[in-house]
Amino acid sequence: MRFSLVATLLLLLAAGGAAAQSGERVLATTLDNGLRVLLLEDHRSPIVSFQMWYRVGSRNEARGATGIAHFLEHMMFKGTPTYGQGQFARLVEQNGGQDNAFTSQDVTSYYVNIAADRIDLVIDLESDRMQNLKLDAKDIASEREVVIEERRTRTEDDPGGFLGEEVGSIAFRSHPYGAPIIGFMEDIKRITPEEIRAFYKTYYMPNNAILVAVGDFKAPEVLGKIRAKFGKIPKGPAPPPVLAVEPQQNGERRVLLTKQAQLPIVYLGYHVPNQKSADAFPLEMLSSILSEGRASRLYKRLVYERQIALEAGGDYNYFSQDPNLFWFWATPMPGQTPESMEKALLAEMETLKNEPVTDEELQRAKNQVEAAFVFQEDSVHRRAALLARFELIGGYTEKDRFVERLRSVTAADVQRVARTYFADDKKNIGVLLPRP
Amino acid sequence: MMRLRRLPALLVIGALLSAVPAGAARPIAHREVLPNGIVLLVAERPAVPIVVVRVFAHAGAVLDPPDRAGLANLTGALLTRGTGKHTGPELDSAIEFVGGSLSAGAGRDGLTASLAVLRKDLGLGLDLLGEVLLTPTFPADELKRKAAQIQAAIKRSEEDPGTVGGRALAKLVFPNHPYGVPVEGTVESVGRLTRDDVVRFHGAYVRPDTTIIAVVGAITVDDARREIVARFGGWKAPPESPPTVPPATPGATPRSETIEKELTQATILFGRQAIRQTDPDYFPLTVASYVLGGGSASRLYSRVREEGGLAYAVYSYVNPARYGASFSASAQTRTAEVPKVIDIMREELARMTREPVTERELKLAKEYLIGSFPLRLDTSSKVADFVVAVESQGLGLDYADRYKERVAKVTAADVQRVAAKYFAPDTFNRVVVGAPKP
Repeated sequence: MRFSLVATLLLLLAAGGAAAQSGERVLATTLDNGLRVLLLEDHRSPIVSFQMWYRVGSRNEARGATGIAHFLEHMMFKGTPTYGQGQFARLVEQNGGQDNAFTSQDVTSYYVNIAADRIDLVIDLESDRMQNLKLDAKDIASEREVVIEERRTRTEDDPGGFLGEEVGSIAFRSHPYGAPIIGFMEDIKRITPEEIRAFYKTYYMPNNAILVAVGDFKAPEVLGKIRAKFGKIPKGPAPPPVLAVEPQQNGERRVLLTKQAQLPIVYLGYHVPNQKSADAFPLEMLSSILSEGRASRLYKRLVYERQIALEAGGDYNYFSQDPNLFWFWATPMPGQTPESMEKALLAEMETLKNEPVTDEELQRAKNQVEAAFVFQEDSVHRRAALLARFELIGGYTEKDRFVERLRSVTAADVQRVARTYFADDKKNIGVLLPRP
Repeated sequence: MMRLRRLPALLVIGALLSAVPAGAARPIAHREVLPNGIVLLVAERPAVPIVVVRVFAHAGAVLDPPDRAGLANLTGALLTRGTGKHTGPELDSAIEFVGGSLSAGAGRDGLTASLAVLRKDLGLGLDLLGEVLLTPTFPADELKRKAAQIQAAIKRSEEDPGTVGGRALAKLVFPNHPYGVPVEGTVESVGRLTRDDVVRFHGAYVRPDTTIIAVVGAITVDDARREIVARFGGWKAPPESPPTVPPATPGATPRSETIEKELTQATILFGRQAIRQTDPDYFPLTVASYVLGGGSASRLYSRVREEGGLAYAVYSYVNPARYGASFSASAQTRTAEVPKVIDIMREELARMTREPVTERELKLAKEYLIGSFPLRLDTSSKVADFVVAVESQGLGLDYADRYKERVAKVTAADVQRVAAKYFAPDTFNRVVVGAPKP
């Protein structure tokens, strides 16, 4: 993906990003060992999406050990004494299932989508690897090379990924959000097996995880099976909190890169609050107004009308655990300079500050978010992921509040947040200049 | 912001039908042919109040004139850029205001217009869908704008080693067939396309008698028929017969190509022509490809990634289309290890031809290919894509069931026999994108 840094988030909101169907019968409980369990019956297809969400991501990493959460995610597939190397994938595939995992700044998530009558197998596999991972030095050594290759694909050899990492680094002085999720190359090469084992012990425990399953099962029956397997795992000491608070930014920060590429790229990031602030709702609406669809503002103005950008957009991560960035990006059309592209983006910022968005823009964004909630109901995988996303920020029922609050956002709210956060001396800007 | 453990399987596999397992007892969709030749497919999924519609016309890039590569693609992209009733921006606003989406584009074999709306907005959505297919106006300024965007996107795609390698490989695998030419064309060919070309292409090839319409979601067959007939019932085919496209013929002697780029990693691609679903050997071939490089337990994944630590992405797949098929294997590795990875890939291809796969491997491949079927049809969009693919490739709506039966019958001897035909390493074209020397 071209804009791997931001586009995935957008996708999350566009595709999964909401869903206020109240009256969803979620069976929610917390086991004695602290494991949070959310089960939702959905009998339309004979399948289940079974997901484990650990509250650990690059946010929990120390300087010098960036990428360790993601490295561990890879190691979660390398075996336990019960299920050796390659067994996880083999058993899932043999049962017609599909699995994958991802690491973000805030979480590490694992899923298996599989025929509903195979749920016992998944419960067994996931409860086993929550505490029994082997983490052999030899396996770590070979997987390290795989992670390095992944970094080459996504960062070294991808102009968008390469620039995104630099802009993240200048935007954050103190908070770990400034480090890349995949980790710096030097750290990936250096991290020791002991550190990975310690990281696993610190964060992989029932009281730091959320189990979500949506699909064709009987929730009380599945809960019994979950209790039987996961309930035996002892509660661990609470993982250390992330204490860093990003200090106020006192001036513009800028990075200019030159790399073999075909077209320039411009990234722009502003510090914004997360969902703990009431401003999160206007920011969320703003993101939609700017970027959702061909009628959205940046597409319409920069791509369609002025024809100066091949792509342009903005993105806000409502679900971020700590305050994060509001991103803007644009790829100039051939013949356009990054300077003029930057000016055009900043001019759009000024317009947002000086004029309220139109009623049509605001209503469209609200309708899009509400419709997205309905569309995501069509997929058990997306339903489960959405429950987890809201649970991570305070409770799955937050979903309902989310849509209500978005509905009440006004054009004046949007204008106010644009003025508050898109200050000219608070921007973090990255430009990639192509070298043929 | 995510870092996946490995690439999502569907992304990698690309072609939906390359691994379509089966198991549905009742027909997956209702099928009927409307008086003007449109094939209407309807699958009721009442639980969620949404409707997804796909209109597929046999107007893909295979019909591009040799000096007009990218014509189908441009025509598809322009469908939503203006109709008799609405300008492009008006169409965008109308559909997006109700939280829906309307898009169109072309692939190798066909041109597809897609609609997704809440059930309550279906009337509006279908009105717009009907307009973009039947009365597009192809405004000159929109054509100029879209052509420039496509040219810029082609230019930018030169940054992506997978795209660069894929284009080069297609040219080697299908040297005498439109499948060897990129769907989007080249910067030069797109620059030559005129409004007349687009109008002619649309008039001749987007026609009811080669069109499939799939309606999936919270709607009954009767309602779907009524709504579709109301918009598309009066659509008439042009007097000329629909065009025919020759099937791909085997290429010349396999060739190798290196494309130099300033990269830290090299992308290695092996490819050759293969067979499509109408050939009985397709099913053993699918199993063979899965054993070789289909999943996380495959031979290539085990040797190149798990044991060697040589790559993040490594896989093989069969890619069948209407007029031909290819089989490919690919890996991305650090520059210094290119020769080693090429050796492993060649060796594993050869081993498939030399010795039978183990019972364990065979069982795993078959169980996965058959057992993962429900996951491939668990949303309205997936169902719509599936029924369109099956219909457009002439496989029949019972294809899923036949697939399951055929895969279940595959033996280790079948796999070896088919591998001997299609996996001999010297029969592959090869492309490497990256730095030539460490």
